Amino acid sequence: MCPVSVDFCVDSRLADAGRAGYPMSPRGSYTAHAKDASRVSDSELPRVPATGSEPELCDDVPSLRKTPVKANAKREQNIIKDSHYCIRRNDACHIISENYSYKTETYYTILNYELEGKKVRPSSHVILDAYVVPICLERAKQGGIPVCEWGISQGYVPLPALLYGLNYFATTSDFFEVHDNEKAKEVIKHITNIGKYPFCYQKLGEGATIYSCVGIFGKTATSWSPAAGIAEKVYECFRIPLITMVLVKTGEQLLLSSLAPTRYSQLTGDERSLLAAYLSNQEFL
Amino acid sequence: MSQLGIFVDRKTLSNSEQLNALIHCRDIAEGMGHHVDFIFPVDIHKIPKMDALFIRARTDPLNVTYVAARMAEFHGIPVIDDPRSIRICSDKVNMYSHLIKKNISLPKTVFLSKTRLTVEEVTHLFDELGSPLIVKEPSTSFSLRVEKVSDIAEFFRVARRFIKLSDWIVVQQYIESRYDWRVGVLGGNLLYVCKYTIPSDTFKIQASVNGHLVYCGVESVSPDKVPPHVIDLGIDAANAIGRGLYGVDIKNNNGDAYVIEVNDNPSIESGEDDCYPRVFEQIVSYLFTT
Repeated sequence: MCPVSVDFCVDSRLADAGRAGYPMSPRGSYTAHAKDASRVSDSELPRVPATGSEPELCDDVPSLRKTPVKANAKREQNIIKDSHYCIRRNDACHIISENYSYKTETYYTILNYELEGKKVRPSSHVILDAYVVPICLERAKQGGIPVCEWGISQGYVPLPALLYGLNYFATTSDFFEVHDNEKAKEVIKHITNIGKYPFCYQKLGEGATIYSCVGIFGKTATSWSPAAGIAEKVYECFRIPLITMVLVKTGEQLLLSSLAPTRYSQLTGDERSLLAAYLSNQEFL
Repeated sequence: MSQLGIFVDRKTLSNSEQLNALIHCRDIAEGMGHHVDFIFPVDIHKIPKMDALFIRARTDPLNVTYVAARMAEFHGIPVIDDPRSIRICSDKVNMYSHLIKKNISLPKTVFLSKTRLTVEEVTHLFDELGSPLIVKEPSTSFSLRVEKVSDIAEFFRVARRFIKLSDWIVVQQYIESRYDWRVGVLGGNLLYVCKYTIPSDTFKIQASVNGHLVYCGVESVSPDKVPPHVIDLGIDAANAIGRGLYGVDIKNNNGDAYVIEVNDNPSIESGEDDCYPRVFEQIVSYLFTT
């Protein structure tokens, strides 16, 4: 076992990492929107709604996530909202954050490390790759990860499809599942700012279901092996300690659709425990 | 015959000057024996079939031009602008950090995070950098989100607006001048020089004055009429960023030259190259020899 040097710190000056108006999707707060709801039993993963789906509570489906209780969100197991953490191992600093996005406090912290010539994971360059959907999927594909086929469009979209904005204001946390032309038109108008920008689409297969899964240093709190395998590969490819994978399951095939930031407040108890174990050096990298 | 892809978007084609420049570029490349394809965002999957890619649309790490640049890089295709240059030049914190690291002459520059946005800190900035100050949101281009502020209240009004878009902002000493030098650099060599004359109603090269957009005047200048230290500074600044195509903006105030910014994807459609008829030929040659 290799020795691990842990430099665990919270910099109070860096406690405002969230961008104003950060439009994080309420992951797990709605029921699955996929057509074939019966497939939920074959996985422990939470199925996720596309942005704008109708909210329905999911008390009768224990495997689905619900919105975390607000009171627990700010401080639990020493993981503080809007803070980022650095775990030092060997020569590299591993930054854990709930928002690595471009021009956030976390992004600039990472950039500073790089400008000072220090080793830091993830790199600022990888963060940008991860959060721009087509680049994310191209990089993941080269890393041997099964990914959704994607295209870029200004208007046309094959149905059904998952749609992502592709512009300065878009976030991978916001994706839209469309099944008919009317809904597609409405969504495209929104994500392209009335045709100003192109968007990214992913054609969905028959009975496709969308899941999310959190990867923590490449590990998942779920025992479902296909997702665990993808999480491991995603970590090898991107080196982002805390990430939400959006996955599309069609039949037995599980494909990566995108990577999104992960709010601490939306971690399950098991995920929070796993993250806390890394932060307190109980879990070796 | 080599395939040159020129990546464009709707906005590029909606401007007649840009359209003329693109056609001129295509004609030159074809005259050099290359086949040219205009590539639109929806054609991005064609990029791996190209031998080189020239991006002629507004670049940003979060938009489709960056996807095009990374697609080219993933497939080992030479590209202007390369992804690294886009990353650095699109973010002024990153860009100025690279210039500072190489001791490039700049106006006094401070990066201010939103956690340090306090009256004490701002008072200190006015004391250190003088008044007025220039406040920039890091992703600014074409002088958007660049403001001149003269007091603390004005500073906070602007900073609060910018901090919604970025956790850090840039604060700079104001350098007065009626024109900026623009030094075009390609692969570490001088490509062209022009003067951007700043409209009298503003301090920016492009601004909205009384509801009307006013643009700077453009005058191409032959190298023998440019102060040598301006050309040297432009090349040094470009080299601090990388080996691509850059437009370096310089203010030459009382003989002291300061780099205002380094732009990737510089404009070459408004007469910048009038004294330099081989600009597109040099760019195409560079793409096929790197």
